[in-house]
Amino acid sequence: MEKRMEAKEIEGLRLSLVIFFSNKTAVVGLMIFMAYVIDALLMQFAPSMLGVNNPNALAFDYSNTIPQPPSPEHILGTTYFGVDLLQAIMQAIRIDLGYSGLIVISGALIGALFGIISAYAGGWFDEILMRITDIFFGIPYLVLALGVGFALGRTIESMIIALIIVWWPLYERYTRSLTLSIKEQTFIEAAKASGVSDLKIMIKHIFPNTLPPVLVQISLDLGVVMAIFATLTFIGFLPTGNLPELGYLTSLGLNYIQIAPWATIFPGLAITIFALAVNLMGDGLRDVIDPRRRSS
Amino acid sequence: MKLWAYILRRILILIPTLIGLTLMVFVIIHLQGNNLLLAQYLNPRLTGPAKQQQLEALTERFHLNDPVYIQYFYWLQQIITGDWGYTNTPIYSGSVTTAISLFLPNTIIIAVFASIIIWLLSIPLGVSSAVNRDSIRDHLIRVSSFTLYAMPIYLIAIALIILLGVYFHVLPFSGPVNPLLVSNLDWYKNGISYPTHILLIDALIHGNLTVAWDAFLHVIMPSVTLALGIMAGIIRILRASMLEVLEQDYIRLARAKGVPEKIVINLHARRNALLPVATSFGYTVAGLLGGAVVIETVFNYPGIGYWTTQALLVNDVGGIMSSTLLFGLILVFTTLILDILYALIDPRIRY
Amino acid sequence: MSEGPVIKIDDLHVYFFTRRGIYQALRGVNLTLNKGEVLGLAGESGSGKSTLGLAIMGLLPRNAIIPKGSIILGNGTDLVEKIRGKAPFKKDKLNLRKNELLIRNLNKHLQKIRGKRISMVFQEPMTALNPVLQIGYQIAETVLYHDAERLIRRALAREKVTREDLRNMIKILKNEGERGIYEYALKAGLNGIEEQIFAIWNREDIHEAKKEKMIIDLAKDKLGLFERIGLKLARKGMLKIPLISRLARRALIKEGYRVAKELLSSLGIPQVDSVVKMYPHELSGGMRQRVVIAIALANNPDVVILDEPTSALDVTIQAQILELIRNLRKKTNAAFLFISHDLSVLAEVSDRIAIMYAGKVMEVGRVEQIFEEPLHPYTKMLLDVIPTMEKDTLKPAKGTIPDARYPPPGCPFAPRCPFAKEDCLKFDREIAVTKDHIVSCILYENKK
Ligand SMILES: Nc1ncnc2c1ncn2[C@@H]1O[C@H](COP(=O)(O)OP(=O)(O)OP(=O)(O)O)[C@@H](O)[C@H]1O
Ligand SMILES: [Mg+2]
Repeated sequence: MEKRMEAKEIEGLRLSLVIFFSNKTAVVGLMIFMAYVIDALLMQFAPSMLGVNNPNALAFDYSNTIPQPPSPEHILGTTYFGVDLLQAIMQAIRIDLGYSGLIVISGALIGALFGIISAYAGGWFDEILMRITDIFFGIPYLVLALGVGFALGRTIESMIIALIIVWWPLYERYTRSLTLSIKEQTFIEAAKASGVSDLKIMIKHIFPNTLPPVLVQISLDLGVVMAIFATLTFIGFLPTGNLPELGYLTSLGLNYIQIAPWATIFPGLAITIFALAVNLMGDGLRDVIDPRRRSS
Repeated sequence: MKLWAYILRRILILIPTLIGLTLMVFVIIHLQGNNLLLAQYLNPRLTGPAKQQQLEALTERFHLNDPVYIQYFYWLQQIITGDWGYTNTPIYSGSVTTAISLFLPNTIIIAVFASIIIWLLSIPLGVSSAVNRDSIRDHLIRVSSFTLYAMPIYLIAIALIILLGVYFHVLPFSGPVNPLLVSNLDWYKNGISYPTHILLIDALIHGNLTVAWDAFLHVIMPSVTLALGIMAGIIRILRASMLEVLEQDYIRLARAKGVPEKIVINLHARRNALLPVATSFGYTVAGLLGGAVVIETVFNYPGIGYWTTQALLVNDVGGIMSSTLLFGLILVFTTLILDILYALIDPRIRY
Repeated sequence: MSEGPVIKIDDLHVYFFTRRGIYQALRGVNLTLNKGEVLGLAGESGSGKSTLGLAIMGLLPRNAIIPKGSIILGNGTDLVEKIRGKAPFKKDKLNLRKNELLIRNLNKHLQKIRGKRISMVFQEPMTALNPVLQIGYQIAETVLYHDAERLIRRALAREKVTREDLRNMIKILKNEGERGIYEYALKAGLNGIEEQIFAIWNREDIHEAKKEKMIIDLAKDKLGLFERIGLKLARKGMLKIPLISRLARRALIKEGYRVAKELLSSLGIPQVDSVVKMYPHELSGGMRQRVVIAIALANNPDVVILDEPTSALDVTIQAQILELIRNLRKKTNAAFLFISHDLSVLAEVSDRIAIMYAGKVMEVGRVEQIFEEPLHPYTKMLLDVIPTMEKDTLKPAKGTIPDARYPPPGCPFAPRCPFAKEDCLKFDREIAVTKDHIVSCILYENKK
């Protein structure tokens, strides 16, 4: 019995991989995504390998603050305060990816928790949560993040909290609808009939089944959240500093856009390529969990 | 008849939504006790005993010594009667409601131009992309909408600035007008034009075509940016839903009836394909409003969004909190209008 | 009954290209549909019945090709000429994009024929109608795009007709029957009034006095100002000019709504005045199927293809629709191709029956022949499966239809056939056992 289950799972996994890798653009997306992850990990654990002393601060060079075009020493050129763009972008990827991941995953966990309970319990609890999430959808998310973040104080921590607050309702809704359809399936009925407790059903049966689509959604949202994160710093949410962050880097270059367009183009490209990559990857992953695709 | 009942019901649903929205803003303001509220309503120019006096008056007015849930109602009363407090930013300082009346028109003009562009372009592009699936045109439309969709909107703005402003020098990209043109006009003061506060219209009213043309040129880039950012999503949804609709039985029947292909596409298929676009429109509008904040900032265009970021930079509570509420209100009411439009195209909704 | 073929299908092949392989849905179908008859088409799921119907209509998906064969209309037009053997290949792969263009080109050519000379009713009434267009519009446009003249004629005739004319015509109708009306209308320059009179006269739900009054009231039904202008424009051939065409089209569509009402009430739908203004979701499945049938009949076509028109309906509605189709047979002079997997349904409505299997026709004959002296072992098996009074337990057919990607050589039924022998694997011919009873089976090779 156990063995057969295992064989089936392996077969399922194999099918998933075949579907994913048959989509060339998704594979490209995955490769770019992995490159970003590797960069972030190296920055975190061995910054010196990349020639960086402090991954949390930009290395200003006050001897020549005007942005310089790309050259052998500075492959991507420099931006305001003489910062080497390549190095700054590599530092920034760690910050942006790390925080976006933190925001999306926390949002997803909180959302999934409430979404599953809400759909499973139904009744007034569900109703109240629906109304609460409705309110969150009633304010443009960028503006809401701005408002909440501001009220908490203009620090990076409050920015992250604000974005989590903005993001969890999306996952609440999503897992709620997933749970509603899973709830209808026979194996849940069977588990209920055989006296398994509600808590156990939610943890052992419903949560694992919501996981694949939620993971796909997370991969798609990484790009969106990184974009919002960068947007907030770009418009100056954080009081000036030396945080290596892609939105901030873009804003540093903005004043020189007429004479040094590369100073805005490269940080911008770093975000755009990442967002494109996770979108492509997410589309591929979506195919993997699409039952229509699986059966064909 | 049925349609009216639907509209009435939809308006009734508005009440709990509005309560929720104001409650949310109220909670945000109270995240740090009364500090933010006081900062918003204290006249920043007051000092010494006058300030102390106003503080007491405010405590009285907002019943700050009562429990928080009671305070909500007093705060709501102020909001409804139009007292939104003060704002003190480099571009304007005075009462929030005046600030809104000065800046909102500019945001509206950008939104209107963007909507026109979106309306004119996204539907034909999305439809023709689906109808000519796998053609070169389809690939082009898909790749560009995908890229635009993935880009944060400020990067779209920057890309346009570099391309059209810096490289080709065809369009201005900063401010609402060339300041030299308006320096001695008596209807334009401190960056604000009178009477409508929309420079383009005011210039036309005063018969100054040079300024009107220049103002128009300045509106193009922000509106195009906003339009591009939003169109990307619409085209993607429209293409997908059009492809799905084209497989439907009723399209096959329309063809079986011998309806010309043009009519099959433009009437039978398109109207149905627009439905999912219309449902996702609320989300789109939210993006549009958020986008306005960023776009106005990049282009230094004095709308609500620009005011908001200016307020952010100088820690002006009134600006931030009021714009949160204002954007929420705009979103709620546009969703209402969109829902009603949606019911107009889909007869099934009106139940 | 049989007055020559309206459609003659010869050696028709249709293949579908998919990532999983090439589905050979039709592999040499020969079939003739005669004027005014109902030809039943039976066969298990996947045998290619729908594909045959869709191929006649030219409604093929982008992955379909027609390597060979022909579908010839009564007047000699070959419907598949534009795509036969023209499929664009890149090495072994079908170029979907180019094939789509090819099919689109075919569609353009067939547009004038579809809905006018051949029309089709699909299985699923719930999804067949456009959810955002009014019922009346969906019927009206069928007439508009094929016969705008007719709409103009009808409206102008009504404009011109007097009560006197109508009284005279009622008298003629009672004494001489329908024929006299045509003559009268022609003489009085009232072409287009006759079909409106017949539509009222042939109704079964109201008594004669009411009918007479309704006919006379036609004279009161004059056009509004905009419609008059619109029709004038339409008559001058201004349907192609933007804006102006709008006015003209609106007037024509309005007239089309009248046609819709007449059609719907002839199909037994009550309260047509409100039904034409409804949207599909406001109607039941049976009603929607009637609307689809009305669309199919709107232009008095030569051929109507019915693809399982009753399968999706529940039993009582099914009986009503079958009754309706039986009546239509008498009223119209169209030929019907009635597709169904249910032989007992076909027995009720058909003149002849064709049995399909794995993309080929196995046996064709008159109803009595198929039911009383079936020849092909497959036909016999299908008949065996029908539940009857004596044996109401449903006995499932043994075996399954072969995979359409790898059809067996020779007779496709051989693998399931109790009488199969070696030569079956090479057998591929049709044998006319009598003049109108054709079978494709080796058992009858020498019994001619
Ligand atoms: N669009 C398509 N793409 C690929 N294969 C198809 C397509 N349409 C039909 N087929 C294949 O062609 C064969 C015949 O299908 P068809 O729908 O004509 O059968 P049918 O006799 O109408 O069956 P049913 O009784 O289920 O309606 C089947 O094997 C089917 O899988
Ligand atoms: Mg079928």
